[in-house]
Amino acid sequence: MQPEEQTITLDGQKIPFQPGQTIMDAALAAKIYIPHLCYHPEFKPHGSCRLCTVMVNGRYESACTMPAAAGQEILNNTKELNENRRALTQMLFVEGNHICPGCPKTGNCQLQAVAYYVGMLSSHYQHFYPYRDLDPSHPDYVIDFNRCILCELCVRASRDVDKKNIFAISGRGIKAHLIINSPSGKLEDTDFAVGDKAAFVCPVGAILRKRTRYTTPIGERLYDQQSIRIVGDSQQLHAGATKYGRK
Amino acid sequence: MSQLETATHPETLKRVVIEPLTRVEGHGKVTLLLDEDNHVHQARLHIVEFRGFEKFIQGRPYWEIPVLVQRLCGICPVSHHLAAAKAVDMLAGARQLTPTADNLRRLLHLGQILQSHALHFFHLCSPDLLFGINDAVAHRNIVGVIADHPDLGLQGIRLRKYGQEVIRIISGKRVHGTASLPGGMNKPLSLQHRALLLADIDQIILWSKGAVDLIKKVYLTNADFHQRFAMIQSSMLSLVTADGALDLYHGGLRAKEANGEIIFDHVDYCNYPQYIHEEVKPWSYMKFPFIISKGKEVGWYRVGPLARINNCDYITTPLAEVERQQFRAHANGGLVHASLAYHWARMIEMLYAAERIKEILLDPVTTGTDIVAQGEEKLLEGIGVIEAPRGTLIHHYLVNDNGSIEKANLIVSTTNNNQAMNESIRQVAREYLDGQTLTEGLLNHIEVAVRAYDPCLSCATHALGKMPLYVELVNCEGKQVDCLVKSSTGEITKQ
Amino acid sequence: MAANKIRVATTSLAGCFGCHMSFLDIDERLLELLEHIEFDRTPLTDIKHCGPCDIGLIEGGVCNAENVHVLKEFRKNCKILIAMGACAFNGGVPALRNHYSLKECLEESYLNGVGVVNPLIPNDPEIPLLLNKVHPIHEIVKIDYFLPGCPPSGDAIWTFLNELLAGQEISLPYQAIHYD
Repeated sequence: MQPEEQTITLDGQKIPFQPGQTIMDAALAAKIYIPHLCYHPEFKPHGSCRLCTVMVNGRYESACTMPAAAGQEILNNTKELNENRRALTQMLFVEGNHICPGCPKTGNCQLQAVAYYVGMLSSHYQHFYPYRDLDPSHPDYVIDFNRCILCELCVRASRDVDKKNIFAISGRGIKAHLIINSPSGKLEDTDFAVGDKAAFVCPVGAILRKRTRYTTPIGERLYDQQSIRIVGDSQQLHAGATKYGRK
Repeated sequence: MSQLETATHPETLKRVVIEPLTRVEGHGKVTLLLDEDNHVHQARLHIVEFRGFEKFIQGRPYWEIPVLVQRLCGICPVSHHLAAAKAVDMLAGARQLTPTADNLRRLLHLGQILQSHALHFFHLCSPDLLFGINDAVAHRNIVGVIADHPDLGLQGIRLRKYGQEVIRIISGKRVHGTASLPGGMNKPLSLQHRALLLADIDQIILWSKGAVDLIKKVYLTNADFHQRFAMIQSSMLSLVTADGALDLYHGGLRAKEANGEIIFDHVDYCNYPQYIHEEVKPWSYMKFPFIISKGKEVGWYRVGPLARINNCDYITTPLAEVERQQFRAHANGGLVHASLAYHWARMIEMLYAAERIKEILLDPVTTGTDIVAQGEEKLLEGIGVIEAPRGTLIHHYLVNDNGSIEKANLIVSTTNNNQAMNESIRQVAREYLDGQTLTEGLLNHIEVAVRAYDPCLSCATHALGKMPLYVELVNCEGKQVDCLVKSSTGEITKQ
Repeated sequence: MAANKIRVATTSLAGCFGCHMSFLDIDERLLELLEHIEFDRTPLTDIKHCGPCDIGLIEGGVCNAENVHVLKEFRKNCKILIAMGACAFNGGVPALRNHYSLKECLEESYLNGVGVVNPLIPNDPEIPLLLNKVHPIHEIVKIDYFLPGCPPSGDAIWTFLNELLAGQEISLPYQAIHYD
């Protein structure tokens, strides 16, 4: 039996979905952008950054974890939702140390691109300026914990794809932070390697290849000319995926 | 210690302050201590800013440094970017650039020299030179220049614009772009961009020549005054090429005595710590460098356009060389020591920069695509020295095996002129202010002396005072954000 | 003539003057702008203290007591206060020193530096007391508009000022807003 094509309504537009897809999956397949940072189509959704929060039949739900179901009326690109997203983005900025002018990821950074998308013109809140160190011990990669936004993509990539389980989040609430699973806590004492999936998934400048920086001229970087709404996620491009999630 | 640096009984004197210094870049102030008869007993230029770059770049990966440290200065970011890049080349083991990358870096730097010199002359200093030191405050600025001399004002704007466009084309942005990679550059110069820059360069050379003629005329029309004003005798330091020519991107260190004798010459700049030390004085955040062999009392020197035009044996471009010869002939073969001659020397350099830009644009190598050299032997210490618009600029980094910065030392152009600027204001204080009733116009004499050096005070600042003893930082809701207390021993604590 | 002009003051606190350079990067359009505005205190004029103004543009974060004083002087005098650039926005690169104590930063520069003679930490009453941390300006005073960028481009500043002077809602193209 050929099932009838099922649809959800996103901001008034009917879009199809396949059974098992989340709202995020369906939206991406239809090339509709829902802001997100912890979502990546190749990993089990996490629902932690809350940026993809949409209004489903009058209730707030995270689009990356909520299964699409026939007849859902969903609001995504509304003033109210985008204002909430802006506040969340501002909190991410003040919670870490995100000094864009000095960061090698600038222009290709997804946090920055989402902030542009939601119209963030100031950080609004009081900055924490937490003290966090760098881990430059690995010969090929440097970890800058200042820029970590706890999206856990590296945790999931290392555990689920690389089968190495190198990264983890330790602590709770405001004390949550990224750690490295080795006796010394240093990346050099793990088997982290250049080809690892975890090396490509960081949406910000927390996991960076050593030495090869600032090679793309200003003006030609991913988010220089067009919004993330159009050009998609940075780490998916690095991983060789299409601009809009799974093929 | 020089005369007028420290009064014997400051508590008995009245204090006059010029704050903030205006039409200069960065934060500074001048204090004067006077007795009842208005005799000056102390005159100091204080640099009131501190940023701590040398500390906070520790632990950062070295390949971030050229982009990070250019934020020391928004007027000469390219000079910081390139000085750091030269140091980073050593760390990456790629000191020998390809000819194309070398040309591109030089072009970028010449754009920087052109725009910075144009800015300083037209936007900041020309009012003093055109209208006189006592001109009305409301009129004594670039707006006044545009109103009274619209053609000249527009030329200044366009000269600066051209330099900024050179920078934008090579580094992607007019201010704080990215260009240098370890061992090269991140983008070649396209033929279209080359054509764009070539289209205007003859006009730029012409205007630059016009600027030299203008300052020469102004200077010589009232030659006695311009020679005497803030005049001090000093040693001079700059880079020169192996055959003694002016070069702003690379070379060996040359220092001359005030009488023109060589103190040292063609010194590999990596050995600078054997030649230059810096003294700290309690009343300024800017340190006081000096030539070690001469000692800290008399070892201070000047850098920048005046030092460079005095130090070099010749200039490679024809128009600027003619001007250099006239400049030097003016001092009858000796060094030119007049502080206001900085303006003249600066315009000669702007002409040189314009001429060199044309030469480099016409060199077919410039539009090549081989722009990154491969590293060979990596070093754990890198030193980059360049002639920034304001003078010799030294960046020095030590890294560990992980590529993290362990230690950094920056001697910024303006820092090199610290003692000289102080000596110049003391000279002005002695000659024009002593015993006078101080007026706004007289105080501007002090600033005119400082401005001659084109100081970049925000560059030069690497805060802590006895007053106020207690600082409370309150946010817009009236909530206390930060609070500092300073004890009598100078120790700062947070409450 | 001057009576109906918009009065503008600008200053750089803990910044690098790059935003002021960008302001000048409006190039020849400066002449057009000057038909509508006049300068109060800016680094381009010799007016030392800000008087009553329509617009104040602030570059840089706050790192010392003097910065706080100047910022408050601007807030008091300017009807509209604009935070210009990355340092005003979140402290910018100078805020990297927030990772260290002030003592460590000062000791590195004045006691432990390469080739330092007469090591001491400057402490004269004439130089302002430093704050422990560098702060963005919105933590100290109310800010009416933000224009991010390190620095914002001349074009962005031009568009921003034009729309502001015309009383329009500020609407900048995508490429004009960047944090670097």
